[in-house]
This record gives sequence, C-alpha cells and structure tokens, in this order.
Amino acid sequence: MIESTPIIDFHAHAGNWTNRAFPDNPEVYIKQMDITGVDRTCMNCIWFGDANWANNLVHNRFVSAYPDRFIGVAFVTPHYPEECIYELDRSFDELNFKFLKLYPDYYGQSSDADGYKPIFEWANQKEIPIMCHGRYGTDAPGTTQLKRYEKFTKDYPKIKWVIAHAGGGTELDSVKTAKELPNIWLETCGSGNPLNAVSYAVNHGLSDRLLFGSDMPIMDYRNQIAKVITADISRDDKKKILGLNAIKLLNL
Amino acid sequence: MGKVDLNFMPNVPVFDANAALGRRHDKRVNVDTVEGTIAEMDRTGVTKALVYAPHGAAYDSTEGNQILLETIGNNDRLIPQFCANPTFDKIDDFSKSVNSANVKTIRIFPPLHNYPFAEWVVGEWLDWAESENIAVWIPVNYETNWHGALDIDPTQLHDTLKNRPNVNVIISEIKYADFPWIMPLIRSLPNISVEISRWVIIDGIQRLINAIGDQRILFGSRFPDSPMSPQLYNLHHNDLSDSSLKDICAGNTERLTGVKVS
Repeated sequence: MIESTPIIDFHAHAGNWTNRAFPDNPEVYIKQMDITGVDRTCMNCIWFGDANWANNLVHNRFVSAYPDRFIGVAFVTPHYPEECIYELDRSFDELNFKFLKLYPDYYGQSSDADGYKPIFEWANQKEIPIMCHGRYGTDAPGTTQLKRYEKFTKDYPKIKWVIAHAGGGTELDSVKTAKELPNIWLETCGSGNPLNAVSYAVNHGLSDRLLFGSDMPIMDYRNQIAKVITADISRDDKKKILGLNAIKLLNL
Repeated sequence: MGKVDLNFMPNVPVFDANAALGRRHDKRVNVDTVEGTIAEMDRTGVTKALVYAPHGAAYDSTEGNQILLETIGNNDRLIPQFCANPTFDKIDDFSKSVNSANVKTIRIFPPLHNYPFAEWVVGEWLDWAESENIAVWIPVNYETNWHGALDIDPTQLHDTLKNRPNVNVIISEIKYADFPWIMPLIRSLPNISVEISRWVIIDGIQRLINAIGDQRILFGSRFPDSPMSPQLYNLHHNDLSDSSLKDICAGNTERLTGVKVS
C-alpha cells in the first residue's frame, strides 16, 4: 500500500567526485528522489578546501535552482580559521542554510581538537545543529563517542548534534551515546548495512532521534531508504525516521 | 508528500546468492541458526539462500563444510556452498565431498588465505571447476579479527581468468570503492558475474546492466551481517523488465547452482 509521508534526506553531498564515479548532477538526484519519494534533500559540500566556494556550489547548483527540493547545509574548514565565522554568518544569514556539516577527517584531527572551538562557540550561540562523524582514525586509544559528546553537550548545550552514519550501525557506542545524551541524533546512511541496525536503535528508545540519510551521490537513494522502509519497526516509526524527525529538528 | 510503500515485499522469487550460516569465532553474529535465517527469509520474501560456513572461511574448509551440512540438515531452502582453500585442501578429497553433497558452487578467499590468485596456485582447481561445471565465488575481501581489509588484486583476477573463459567466476561483495576496476574487469571477461550485496553506488544496478546486461548480476544480501531486503527494494525500483528482475533476483543463481527456487 502506497502511503503519503514527508521524506527528508538529511545527508547528501554536492560537488563532483568523478575519480570515484560520483557525479553531482542535480537532475540525477531529483530523478532518484522522485523514484524513492524523497521530498527534499539536505545538501552539503565538503570536498573543497575553500568553504566559500563549496557553500556557493551548494546554493547555486542545488538550492537556488531547485528551492522546493534541496536544503542548504553549511561547511567550514578549520584549516582556515580566519574565514570560518564570516563564512558561517554568510551561510546562515544570506544563503539561509539550515545546519552545519563538519568533516574532521580532512582536518587531520578529530572533532574535539582546539581548531573547532570557535566554530562550536558560534553554533552554540546561534543554536545551529551540527552533523559530524562520531569517530576518527586519529582518536586516542580509549576514546568513545559517549565521552566525546558528553563534553560537547556540556560545553555547548544549545547545539543539537547529529552523528553521521551512526544510526545505520548496531554499534553500542553510538546508540549508547544517544540514549545517554538527549541532544544527540543519529543519521542512518552508510555503505555497510548491519543487520537490524535501525530496529536496534528504535528498540533502544531512539525513534524520535533517528534521521534518514542517503550519502548521495556516493550511494544510491534506493539502497539507503530501504534500510528504513524494510526495517522490522512500526509504520509510525518509519515515518518519523524518514522525515518527521528532520522536520522537527530543523523547524522546516 | 513522499509516496512510499512502507510494507515492501518482492514480487518475484528470490534466491539469495550470498549468505553465511553458523557461528563465527571472532564475534557473535546476529543470526546463526537455520531457524533465525528462515525467519528472516520469510519476513523479507526470500525463497532460497546459498549459504556457506564462516568457519570454513576463517579456519578449515573441511570442518566448516561438514558443520554447514549438519546445520542445514534437510532444509531445502538453504543451499550449501563449500569453502575451499586451494593451497591446503586435497583436490581429490574435496571433489568427492562436493559430489557427495551435490554441491555446485564453491567459495575461495585468496587474501584471507594469503595466496595470490595466480595460475601457478589455483590452476589445478580451475581445471577441476571447469571440468565439473562448478561455479567459483570470490569475495573481494573477508574480514576477521586477525585479517583486515586487504582486497583481492584485480590484476591477478584478470590475468588468471582471461585464459579461463569456461570457468564461471562470481566476484562477490563488490563495493562502491571497487568501481574503477570492477567495471573494466567485467566488460573484459564475459565469464565473470557479480554479486551485489554491497553494491550501493549511485545508479549501480543500471551501470552494471549497461556494462554487461542482466545475465551476470546476482542478488545477494551478505546476511547475517546485513539485512536481506534493502538491495531487493533497490532492484524493484530500477524500472527493470520483469524478466531482468527475475533473472537478477533468482534466475542467474538458479542457472549457476542448478537449483530452482520454486
């Protein structure tokens, strides 16, 4: 039975990565969105050293060209700290982006490095949600997501944190982190696809804080949305994860 | 408002070409029994599954294959696939066990078992596979707690299989990062098929069909590490013809295994 429900993709990328055969043609996105029923996709661009260029690409190629289908997500790089606050102000005040995506792997340091402090302080003051990975190759032994985000949520209590790729896994660490900390959301996309990942998080009481994401154009909408649609959970929980939670989080 | 079927089930018979059955040494898997596997197959509309024993991959093919047969018992929805190690197993004994169990496919693990997929290592086994019409599954990688993410060498695959046009080889668990080499490989060698449990690259199904048609693509799930449904959902939303959908979901695996799904 076909049903109507809002569907928001929380995690997709702009910018070509053709060395990996990942094109960012908006028409390809829209075609797949129409096939899968996705109403709107949150677009970030993390593949440029120049955040100004990256955010303009998101805005010009996607958001302003198809305002009903794409939502802008800002990016800044702590490699250029002198540019961050200006770019954040511009992204949210002028481009009307809805949240911030950070990618510490490119920085070569995890998200608790000092270079992120001004960014977090700005986001805390403005109450801007941040999506970020939970773990990094540079993590010190013994690092856990819970420890990391305990500090983040204490130091920056007005930020709503979205752990990218975490809701798609059965890792105790990410689910435990979200259970312990009410300001944590988990996003579902990933190339791996652990059995019962979504239902595991739902069964731990997180149905209101799971967000469907695709990771387009690295991955196909159809595979990623199917993780939610075919999960062994209630229809109401599927609807929350597919879009209702994102609408609430971003005040859409 | 998005239109979506929240109760998706496949509308064609399904033969899962990539599932494991049984316990692993390095972790407790989500499902390790016949009952649990069948329950997931029922929930997701999978008719039959080709299953191998994780023990056969990680430690010993003979014992693993024996465990597999004992675990399956007389369940006719689970089709055994034997693990093999061409550098250790005796081919005559292995051949007897294959014939005795009426097994039609094997799975080998060159990176895990630490040998090159080269004629001077696997030649005798490929002779045997050709003569017995045994299809050979090769996963791109197989991780355990003592073996990391070392992938198979594409050049070895190409150089060895280009001289083996009559051996059916299925490259299993191809993933998005394999795109740069798997596409030219399958275009180059018509005896290679692919199993798509990890193939989530954008427009991945259409890209494969454009490259090699619909007869060399096998639906697989990687159960119990991964669920059975998502790739089925993707296949059902790729505007495939009914015959293409049937072949990818089951027909191509039926042909390679000699087992009909219904």
